[in-house]
Amino acid sequence: MQNQRVHYIQRWLADIIAVFGVILTIFLWCFLFRHWTTLAIGILFSLLSGTSLRLVQVTKSRDRALKQFQHELTERIKVEESKQKLEIALLQNQKLQAIGTLSGGIAHDFNNLIYAIKGYVEMARDDVPKDGLVHKNLGKVLEAAQRGQELIARILAFGRNRQQYEFQPLHLKSVLESAISLLKPTIPSSVAIKLMDISNDPLIFGNQTQLHQVIVNLINNAVDAMDGEGVIIIQITHVSVKDDYLLQFPNIVNSDYCRIDISDTGHGMDQTTINRIYEPFFTTKEVGKGTGLGLSIVHTVVKEHRGEISVASQLGQGSTFTLLLPEYKENNDGHHFVS
Amino acid sequence: MATILLVEDDDLVKDMLAQVLERGSHKVIKAHDGEEAAELLKNISPDIIVTDIIMPKKSGITLISEVKNKHPDMEIIAISGGGRLDPTGYLDLSESLGATVSFEKPIDNAALLMAIDLLLQGK
Repeated sequence: MQNQRVHYIQRWLADIIAVFGVILTIFLWCFLFRHWTTLAIGILFSLLSGTSLRLVQVTKSRDRALKQFQHELTERIKVEESKQKLEIALLQNQKLQAIGTLSGGIAHDFNNLIYAIKGYVEMARDDVPKDGLVHKNLGKVLEAAQRGQELIARILAFGRNRQQYEFQPLHLKSVLESAISLLKPTIPSSVAIKLMDISNDPLIFGNQTQLHQVIVNLINNAVDAMDGEGVIIIQITHVSVKDDYLLQFPNIVNSDYCRIDISDTGHGMDQTTINRIYEPFFTTKEVGKGTGLGLSIVHTVVKEHRGEISVASQLGQGSTFTLLLPEYKENNDGHHFVS
Repeated sequence: MATILLVEDDDLVKDMLAQVLERGSHKVIKAHDGEEAAELLKNISPDIIVTDIIMPKKSGITLISEVKNKHPDMEIIAISGGGRLDPTGYLDLSESLGATVSFEKPIDNAALLMAIDLLLQGK
């Protein structure tokens, strides 16, 4: 009610001032000055002040409307972007699930094939003289079959419902530090790894071995992407449950998150590569250097930890992998829970 | 020397395993799946059954539970190539249903023959 009254006064203020000015001028003209010039100047001045006030008011309200429009536009663009990212992530999830199921089925038949090959070759090997070339060559066949068997074991590890790993509360910082110290001896000295200072060491609920595998795979990829020279920066930040940043991920739970950014100064990736990086057996490395399973395993493990993974990269400008893991909280009774 | 009923749906594996077992001087009777094996078991009584797990018609899991129901003393060796579900999960299940030993494919055939010999000695 009060607001409405103020609104009416504001709306008619210019007119009121103009009319009041004119009445005052006529009043003064009648009783004091009695001069036509004074009357004209007075009326003109009143009308002018009314008009200028109205002009100021119109400009102000237009500015306000423009600002509101801009704000709405940015909001809408933000929502649209989150939606797009969400759709891409959902598609990626479905694709990986399908490949997982498929590889599980293929792995079963492959195991049978490799078993048949190994069995026949072993028998054939028993039937020939041990010092001959045939014996030696059949040994090579067995070696090849063995390698096939190891590959299938890796596919199965990816495709099947992985064995249950024991989860426990872990300090993220110490997980990162121990993974880095595991890796240090294998990394060229021309590559520097910087773990940025963390003020609070957040707790997460997970499996140390699996998380080591994630960090090791990501850092190894970064080292390869930099051709053995550059800087890897690892940063941990806290993401509040209310943060809009979380909107772009499809399976986010109602919890605060720990965000881990792993950035490299390598050659980066184009969009086509980015779209396929989590697919099993997709690799940009030379034949024999990569299995194409590293990032698929990373993706699977992160999902098992109810986390999310995303990547930002541009050709020639390095890549940043971002992991989100739900923060683990301790309540007053000393019981733990994932918030 | 023992009579072994070999149940395996993959012909290559079945033929290879039959040769391996015969070389270990055992008599081998072959069945393509659980259903054929159950049919054969009406007329024969092998010393040991070696069975695959994932098979058409009747799976190894069903076969094991049926055989153990009718012949509680029958020695059964379960083999599985995994896939679809966790292979060790299947093998754990087959052992809890009554399989004496279980192997994950590809199997070390020497270990398989040794397991068969040990089971025979126990009889």
